[in-house]
Formats: sequence, structure tokens, C-alpha cells
Amino acid sequence: MNNQRQLFQRLFEENSKRVYHLCYGYTGDSDSANDLMQETFIKVWQNLDKFRNQSQFSTWIYRIAINTCLSYLRTAKRRATEELNDNIIENYTEEPSEKQEQIALLYKSIAQLEENERIIITMVLDEVPYPEIAEVAGISEGNLRVKIHRIKHKLTEIYNSNERV
Amino acid sequence: MKGFDQIQQLWHGQAPEPNVSFENVLKRIKASRSSLAKKLFWQSISMGVAVAILLWMCFSVEFSTWTTYLAIAIMMGCICYYFASQLRDYHAISNSGNLLSKPQDYILYLKTFQQKRYRFNTRNYTVYEVCIAIAFALYGIEMYFALPLWTFIGLGIFVVFWFVICHVVFMKQFIRNEQARIAEMIGNLERIKDQFAENEE
Repeated sequence: MNNQRQLFQRLFEENSKRVYHLCYGYTGDSDSANDLMQETFIKVWQNLDKFRNQSQFSTWIYRIAINTCLSYLRTAKRRATEELNDNIIENYTEEPSEKQEQIALLYKSIAQLEENERIIITMVLDEVPYPEIAEVAGISEGNLRVKIHRIKHKLTEIYNSNERV
Repeated sequence: MKGFDQIQQLWHGQAPEPNVSFENVLKRIKASRSSLAKKLFWQSISMGVAVAILLWMCFSVEFSTWTTYLAIAIMMGCICYYFASQLRDYHAISNSGNLLSKPQDYILYLKTFQQKRYRFNTRNYTVYEVCIAIAFALYGIEMYFALPLWTFIGLGIFVVFWFVICHVVFMKQFIRNEQARIAEMIGNLERIKDQFAENEE
């Protein structure tokens, strides 16, 4: 039990930030991202003894996070829409600075990508190794590289056009 | 104009950080465990009370026909069966190890679960309903001798009416809602799977 707690604490410390970024990129809302991150780690805890070392812990946690995000969107009837984009701006209005505005714009741009692109790009931005992203997405590494190239280009374009507005 | 490298730098310098600590997650785990335990506790208590009342009736009330004892035995069997089934499915979905699966594996798991629940809510529930109806009918024999005719007929009509309402309205609605809920989960996961598949081509 104590070992499990220690392992869980290590997994939480190593992965919580990335999972939070993934959830934030996916939902475009900080409160929802915190809820989803919590829910993800509760599921991690519940299933810790079922982990079979077939993949890395982080890959396994990412999969749980993605499934949790999808189930959450069902219950909350939320989508990354303009309404959510407004939430992103609101989340940054407490102490607005140029940098915060730029980050808000970045999340707004991510929210304009396709769902699978959002998942991939948040992992790329967090510097998750490519083989791990390919495993989470269930596609080949070669195909992933092509896809990442396309998404980077798309995100840069969306970001710059949003910045001009 | 920014390039992707600048965007990545921006990302690494971002303020949004999770405001949920490890201790908070542990607290929620304990809370969710205790709420599950509480739910199971009250379910067990209510089932236990129902079975105890039926047992008490069996031993302390002197029924004039053997059919009533059979009705009580059927009722107790039904209550235990329904409770055990609900408990099994509740555990299956809440502690599912398939959460670790890739979306496509999780979809398969959900589809199997959906079919199982549908079978349970239709075929098994019909058998359950028939058993309860038989129990009521058997008890009705005792009531026929004990109650005035018009009270007996009124009670009979009420029971039949209640069964019809449960079967046609409540159960249909329950099945529809439950199936829709699982179907929507499957739909969301399939949408993501298709998006990755399109890009694989």
C-alpha cells in the first residue's frame, strides 16, 4: 500500500503538468482541465495494479487522460468552440500582461485545431518523445512525423492570423 | 509573425499550471471510495431490510395458503439477483482496467458492455418481471380469500397497471437513456479513431 502510494506520488509529480496541458489544450478551459487532471489520476490510482509494463507509464497515463477528456465532453456537452475560446481569454484577464495574452492566444489557436491535432500538438509542445506520441495516437512514427510537420505549420498560421486580428 | 520555435518557447514560459495538489487527489480518492462504500452500504441495508421483512412475514404471519410462502421465496430470490447484477456491472464499469487501452480497444470494451447491459435490461429484466408477477399472482390467491371481492379486484387492477407502466414507460425510458449514454461515449471515441485513421491513409 505504501509502495503504491510512493509510486503514485512519483507518477503524479512527473506527469501532472503534462496531463494538465493536454486537458487544457483539449478543453480550452482551466477549471475543466483541473477537474479532468484529477479524474485522470484517480483512474490511474484505481488501475495502478493492472498496469502490465506493456508501455511506459506516461503513455498509459496519456491514454487514460484522452479517454477521460472524451468522456467528459460527453457529460458536459462541451466542445472547443468560440464559447470556450472566450473562457480562455477570461482566464487570463485577472493580471493581463503581454505574455499572458500571447499564451491565451496560443490556447485559442490550439482550440481551433482538430481534436486529434490538439492531442498531438500539446504533446509535441511538451516535448514528449515521438515514439511515445505515436503509441498514444496509435499511428506509425513515419506518419506521425508528416502529421506533426503539418500541424506545426497549421498552428503557426492560425496563431499569426489570430495575432493580426 | 512568429515561427513554431517561438510558439514553443511561449508554451514553456506559460503560467497555467495545475492548481490541484497530490494531497487533493488523494483526498478525492478517499472521498470517492467512501461514497462508493456508502452507496453499497445503503443498497445492502435496503436489500437486507426487504429480505428481513419477507423472512419475518414468513415466520410470524400465519398465511393460509402455501402459495404465499412460495411467493415470498420468489421475491427474495428476485431481490438478491437484481442487487448482485447491479453490483457486478457497477464494479465492472467503475473499475474497468480497459481505461488503459487505446481508444479502439476501449470502444470494443464499451460495445461489449453496451450489449451486455441491453441483454440485462431486456431479456433478463423480462424474466425478472415475470418472476415478480408470478409472486404477486401467488400472493393474490391468499388475498382472494382474505379481502372483499371489490377490494381484491381494485388491488389487482392497480398491480397490473403498475406493471404495465413500469414495463412500457419507465423501463423503456431507462434503457433508452442508458444506451444513449454509452453510444455517445462510443461515438466520441470513434470520431477520434477515424481522425487518426484518415491521416494514416
